[in-house]
Amino acid sequence: MPERQQRVQALYEIALTIGGKETLTETADAALAGYLRKLNCSVGGIFRATEDGYTPTATIPADPAGNALLSAGIDQLAELSSEAFPSHTEPTAGDHCYLFSLPDFGALVIGKQGGEIDTATRSALTPLNEKLAEACRNKLVERQLREQRNRFEAVFDAIPEPIADTVVEDGTEEIIASNAEFERTFGDTDETPGTAMVPEVTDSDTGESTQHSRPIDTDEGDHRITTETTCETVDGPGEFLFHGVPVAGDQADEYIHLYVDITDQKRREGELQRYERLVENLPIGVYRTTPGPDGEFKLVNQGLVDILEADSKAYFENRSVSEIYVDPDERAAFSDRLLAEGTVDNVELQFETAAGNQIWGEVSGIVTETDDGPVFELALQDITTRKERDQQLDVLNRVLRHNLRNALNVIDGNAAMLNAGLDDDELQSHVEGIERRVSNLEELSEKAVTVRSLFDQGRSTTTACDVQALLMRVAREFEDRHPGARVVVDAPEESLYVNADVRLKMALSELVNNAVVHNNRATPEVQLTTETVVRDGEPAVEIVITDNGPGIPKHERKAIESGEETPLQHGTGLGLWLVYWAMSLLGGDIHIDDANPGTRIALLLPQVGGDAQSQSDSGTGVAVNSGD
Amino acid sequence: MELAYSSASGDVLRDELTSLSSQERVEGLLVLATPSVDITADSFETTLESLSVPVCGGLFPQVIVDGESRTSGLLAIGLPTSPTVTVVSELSEADDELDASLPAGSSEAAFVFVDAHADADGVGSLIDALFRTYSVGLSVVGGGAGRLDGGGEPCLFTGDGIIEDAAVMAAVDQPIGIGVRHGWNEVAGPFRVTDADHGTIRELDGESAFEVYQEAIETNTDATLHREDFFETATAYPFGISRLDGEPIVRDPFAVDGDAISCFGPVPEGEFVTVLAGDPDSLIDAAEQAAETALTEKPIADGAGTLCVFDCISRHLYLDETFDQEVAAIDAGGWPMVGALTIGEIANDGTGHLDYYNKTAVVAAVSDDA
Repeated sequence: MPERQQRVQALYEIALTIGGKETLTETADAALAGYLRKLNCSVGGIFRATEDGYTPTATIPADPAGNALLSAGIDQLAELSSEAFPSHTEPTAGDHCYLFSLPDFGALVIGKQGGEIDTATRSALTPLNEKLAEACRNKLVERQLREQRNRFEAVFDAIPEPIADTVVEDGTEEIIASNAEFERTFGDTDETPGTAMVPEVTDSDTGESTQHSRPIDTDEGDHRITTETTCETVDGPGEFLFHGVPVAGDQADEYIHLYVDITDQKRREGELQRYERLVENLPIGVYRTTPGPDGEFKLVNQGLVDILEADSKAYFENRSVSEIYVDPDERAAFSDRLLAEGTVDNVELQFETAAGNQIWGEVSGIVTETDDGPVFELALQDITTRKERDQQLDVLNRVLRHNLRNALNVIDGNAAMLNAGLDDDELQSHVEGIERRVSNLEELSEKAVTVRSLFDQGRSTTTACDVQALLMRVAREFEDRHPGARVVVDAPEESLYVNADVRLKMALSELVNNAVVHNNRATPEVQLTTETVVRDGEPAVEIVITDNGPGIPKHERKAIESGEETPLQHGTGLGLWLVYWAMSLLGGDIHIDDANPGTRIALLLPQVGGDAQSQSDSGTGVAVNSGD
Repeated sequence: MELAYSSASGDVLRDELTSLSSQERVEGLLVLATPSVDITADSFETTLESLSVPVCGGLFPQVIVDGESRTSGLLAIGLPTSPTVTVVSELSEADDELDASLPAGSSEAAFVFVDAHADADGVGSLIDALFRTYSVGLSVVGGGAGRLDGGGEPCLFTGDGIIEDAAVMAAVDQPIGIGVRHGWNEVAGPFRVTDADHGTIRELDGESAFEVYQEAIETNTDATLHREDFFETATAYPFGISRLDGEPIVRDPFAVDGDAISCFGPVPEGEFVTVLAGDPDSLIDAAEQAAETALTEKPIADGAGTLCVFDCISRHLYLDETFDQEVAAIDAGGWPMVGALTIGEIANDGTGHLDYYNKTAVVAAVSDDA
């Protein structure tokens, strides 16, 4: 084969080995092997020019230091200026090393032991070297881009919010990359969440209005967008703060979308607004003040405006808190107490309205720490009506306890004297009727006083009461008082405790008394039993009073069961109401059923355990257990 | 170097190899076996494992002993320095990771044997890896092992046992001189390889490889190529892959399937091939030149040693009765001459590129001095 043809053929085959590889190193490796094979050379290297000199990209052999010829070539390369290419060295006789420029990349070094590369071939290598340089440059750029992309992707994936890279083409915006959080949030989609994004982005070029409902910051200068938007997620609709940022560079239609999930924030805002509306519309006054003898209003609701008969909330501006007190000293005392205790409940205070009317208010509050120091969060309930009713009850109580009872004593005494002076049996029976009525009225008066005392002790109690001990106590008292009656306690030996005070004993005594006194049997019998039951999912103690009497009239039972009396449906006395109110105040229930014979009345109270028991040892529980 | 040739098997063979390995100047064994030796027999493997020195070798179509080719028996060559034996497994699956499996070090030379029936790309990858790693820093000689009529059978071994689809390498600290020549000359071409895969050429110049090859032979020579006796004719007309400043690399076609021609060794797509032809004189002259080159290498020239010849079995088939003349031409230096007839040869000459050849005579002058 002619030498020229052989050269052209070899150069062509070298050209085949340039390019087509994945990485810079693979490209350089393959090309260098091609050069050496086709030129029948033994050593070589491709070197990249850097600021610090030439660094090897590929060498044959892998360790160039072990080969004298290649080492000589590398040494020469280090001292070679860019204008000195191509260059040649012959470190030992017959061994030749050639240095070629790889434009804008570095250099190619080829060594042939015991032979030369002829001049024509060396000259013919120039276009191949340029092609090799271009391939290496491209791979270097690719590698740099790949490294940049890897860094970008690492950041992309590290961002805990959904983020997507999009391009706009023919008016359609498509996702070309997204992070894992994006896919987790919006699913596997190439469509941008929120359909208004494209017009938003493209309109910024023309300055037309955007389609977002609430753009926060749309900078038409650099096409950045920040807005709230609703997007469909895999879990349903979600609220997002959307940031759209154009990718800098030639690709003006590429954008980065960042979605900050503000669903919870929006929900909390909604809840807060609802809460604010609720507070605003409460029929009680809710307000925030600064502490101190005077105090300053920081926030008031409409309820306080209404209670204090103000025209508007403006009434409270520049007005000290103490000004709404009838006695400003009470404000100072209240402030001191609240600061000292941190929280107060149901403090009754007198206020003066904007119209000059005095009212009673019940105030509860807590101290809250803010950046500006402590503030009072307060609730005021108008209790003027209740206070007036209490006054009325006090008056009635006084009337019952003193005036009515004194009058009845006078009537009773006069009736006794009248009865003693009468011989006529019929007239005497009339007098005795008067005496019985008077006695009933006295009893009723006593019971009314007792009922009053029920409410004086407030609702509920934290005192534990040993139910068995209480039942035994009640039974003994009635057997002593009514020897003809049988009051039996059938309860387990193990103590059962409920939260109750003396009102439970009052209720039990009333029921046992009714069962004995209104019994038509020769021997009234009353059985008291206890049992643990579940009430509304919580443990409770059921106290059952069963008698053998005639039963409770239906109309009295109905009044108790419905909790109200009507002109047509009312009881004959206060006894059952006393029981009903006592149980209601203690947080219990009462159930009345027919027994055979007689009546079965069950009282249900929440059961408490040993902790409450230990509390009872130092509280009023001892008094309850003793029956006092 | 101490040598032993044996036609024995079993315990006798073991005793002979044990005796050789126990000699004072023997630190390792290079074992070249012929197909008459059942290397898959347990006794052979036991013998290998029992040897006290590193051992590696292969099964070849024939071996050369005392200047004569032999079709039976086993040749053991005692290496005066301890070889570093490396096995490259699963050669057909070889990839770029191959470089890392090659030993580092400063050995002078290496005997490399590959499974000739392994994937051609795998063999090519090994050759590339050897050159990338060592270049001419390591003088490499060897060839393809295996039976001419077979494949898929174990044909290589070390002291650890028998292996297939692999390569074995014994790196030694002895300087060697290498001569590589074939004596084939271009008679047709070049033809561009437009469709090829591994060692199979499907198209030349965009046409059926068989038809182009057939026409090239029948136009430029007196021979006629038939599919039925393809190998008999093709063995005289191998392909040549040209390179500057050197003999073309020979690729030996051995089978045809439709339009595709299969060769020993890879034929890269895109390269140019020529059709070569030879005559006994040119081939014998080439072998003689190879021996002269090997013996005139500087470290070798003034010393004593052994000629290790790896000559292609297809040269033997082509030269037939005149092959003895080729052996005699190589044997002119007065050094003991041993070796094998291989299926493809591996060599660099210490100055040029490392390659896998076909139909080539590789002569290594191995110095007795370490």
